[in-house]
Amino acid sequence: MSIVTTDTFSWYQVTRLVKQGTGRVTLGIGDGANDVGMIQEADIGVGISGVEGMQAVMASDFSVSQFRFLERLLVVHGHWCYKRIAQMVCYFFYKNIAFGLTLFYFEAFTGFSGQSVYDDLYMILFNVVLTSMPVISLGVFEQDVSSDVCLEFPTLYQQGPRNLFFDWYRILGWMGNGLYSSIVIFVLNVIIFYDQAFRAEGQTTDMAILGTIMFTCIICAVNFQISLIMSHYTWIQHFLIWLSVLTWFLFLFVYGMLSPTYSKNVFQILTEALAPAPVYWTATLLVTIACTLPYLAHISLQRCFQPMDHHIIQEIKYLKKDEKDKVMWKREKTKAREKTKFGFTARVDAYIRSLRGRLHKKTHSLKSKDGNPS
Amino acid sequence: MSSNAPSSSAGGVGSADSAAPRRNSKRPKYSKFTQQELPACKPILTPRWVISAFMLVSIVFIPIGVVSLFASRDVVEIIDRYETECVPENLRDNKVSFIQSDANKTCTRKLRVKKLMKQPIYVYYQLDNFYQNHRRYVKSRSDSQLKDNSSWNDVSSCKPEDMSNGQPIVPCGLIAWSLFNDTYNFSLNNQQLAVNKRGISWKSDRDSKFGNDVFPRNFQNGTLKGGKILDPTVPLSKQEDLIVWMRTAALPTFRKLYGKIERDLQPNETIHVTLENNYNTYSFNGKKKLVLSTTSWLGGKNDFLGIAYLTVGGLCFFLALSFTVVYLLKPRRLGDPSYLSWNRNPGGH
Repeated sequence: MSIVTTDTFSWYQVTRLVKQGTGRVTLGIGDGANDVGMIQEADIGVGISGVEGMQAVMASDFSVSQFRFLERLLVVHGHWCYKRIAQMVCYFFYKNIAFGLTLFYFEAFTGFSGQSVYDDLYMILFNVVLTSMPVISLGVFEQDVSSDVCLEFPTLYQQGPRNLFFDWYRILGWMGNGLYSSIVIFVLNVIIFYDQAFRAEGQTTDMAILGTIMFTCIICAVNFQISLIMSHYTWIQHFLIWLSVLTWFLFLFVYGMLSPTYSKNVFQILTEALAPAPVYWTATLLVTIACTLPYLAHISLQRCFQPMDHHIIQEIKYLKKDEKDKVMWKREKTKAREKTKFGFTARVDAYIRSLRGRLHKKTHSLKSKDGNPS
Repeated sequence: MSSNAPSSSAGGVGSADSAAPRRNSKRPKYSKFTQQELPACKPILTPRWVISAFMLVSIVFIPIGVVSLFASRDVVEIIDRYETECVPENLRDNKVSFIQSDANKTCTRKLRVKKLMKQPIYVYYQLDNFYQNHRRYVKSRSDSQLKDNSSWNDVSSCKPEDMSNGQPIVPCGLIAWSLFNDTYNFSLNNQQLAVNKRGISWKSDRDSKFGNDVFPRNFQNGTLKGGKILDPTVPLSKQEDLIVWMRTAALPTFRKLYGKIERDLQPNETIHVTLENNYNTYSFNGKKKLVLSTTSWLGGKNDFLGIAYLTVGGLCFFLALSFTVVYLLKPRRLGDPSYLSWNRNPGGH
């Protein structure tokens, strides 16, 4: 759809009409103060900083320094941001459901009196320190395909407008995964640590010990899960995932070292009660694997039967087929681009002008060869 | 919200800036971090990885499951439920009034040892339907009072068991008030079996949470006695029954360590237990059980860990086999461009 207007009709009115008429997401780009209205009216406003000043930049959502960077903004950063945000939000739902529901299940065993099985500090630190860093690194660094591939295959951008990664199927799927994980964590731990001794020295489980064990299982399962979601591992992601798990154990150790006035039931729980008990480590391993097994089976099946475009491209890059079979790669790149129909007449005019310019140069050089001054 | 995107400027190939003469370039300094070009590992899930992952899990889990199951099978346990049978038959219609009366509460039980039990044999009392994890019960204690003699007055969190006859109770609170008070005496072939009641609590509790200068006072002095009466001459750090009881259990069915028998018990031996059935679980239909159990490196008797490991390991093995079959029957060549969406339904995006 192309629109041509006269001076009397301003661009922000055009944008509003397009938004209301088609119901689509609109992007407005401009560089001058007269574009501010349109930039603010459009769903996404892009301002170009430069010759005409900074008014457009200050009114916009995104700003670039040259018009041609719009391509990169959309096709590379827009594509990455969409996937990062979708994955981050789904993961946030998952980990909080996996953690929060265990608290509710425990209530059934306390006569619904409202007793929390976890120490308060565990719950405070859960979202702040223990599970936040890997998912932030996912949101900042995740790339399903590299930036050159994004530019070569603009069709991948279509995964965003078609909302393939944040539809109800995915959201409910992740919530279901959280529900399943919470059930597994709770049920397995309650049955393993039911009433019998959990150590060779004959001691039985009390509430602080069960809470710590369940929380350890949650931290390990949730962090292992995010390592399965990521596809682009820099050293930062590796480091943060391991750091999150180690921080939990370190926190437990340090908290347990504080005087019982502050640490209450957690006093020396890791050093005295849990770390020397083999059942603590075996239960954590069992629960972590049991929680993530369905997800692993699901993505394996999906990749086998219904691979998505970026999966195929990842495989091509991984097996270096783009270098071995350059013809195929070029062919796919061409198929992934559709020639734009915008500004057709303008481009025809520009082509004619460039032809004229070349013709003029040729006749000019011929004339100067003949010795005529131009 | 205006985000200046320096990363957008990375595409400047052949831009005017690189030609001479150079204008004053505002391009930010290149760094791999800001341009999101950090070296990265991009593993992909190939059939080989899928099958190897599942096989690895099953290879690790199945032996662990077998070992755990054997450890649990080695544990010998004797459980004896006695709360109904220790009430005389003629008084079983109203057990609550029996337990609250002054009648003779001595009861004798016989336990048969089925398999060799190696020492130390742990003696537990098990309570069912007793909610030590109820929020108001868990709150009703004063840790500062238990730790330090100088805080003997600090009873505010202990309501309703904070004061009695105008004086603070030490140790205050519902947890201490409801201390279990059945006692067990074991004899084998008319010889007393010693039960070691030292070292049954956690060492950190004895050393740091229960002071050795804190003595019980004004305890169980009210009209309703909830449980055991404590010896006021013994400091709290040595009252191990109290220390064990004060560690509130996680679930409504729980066992607490009563003592240890430090000699082997041979199969087919009969142990005579003389127990004092003092504790009132009849008001809330609770059950009382006496448990004798050995332990293994894994703890007490619980087949579940071994069975769970075997189940998960077996499931993974089954998944590995199924995926092998799937990949053999319906192979998808990796990196096959015919699976790209524009090739599968051309023109139908």
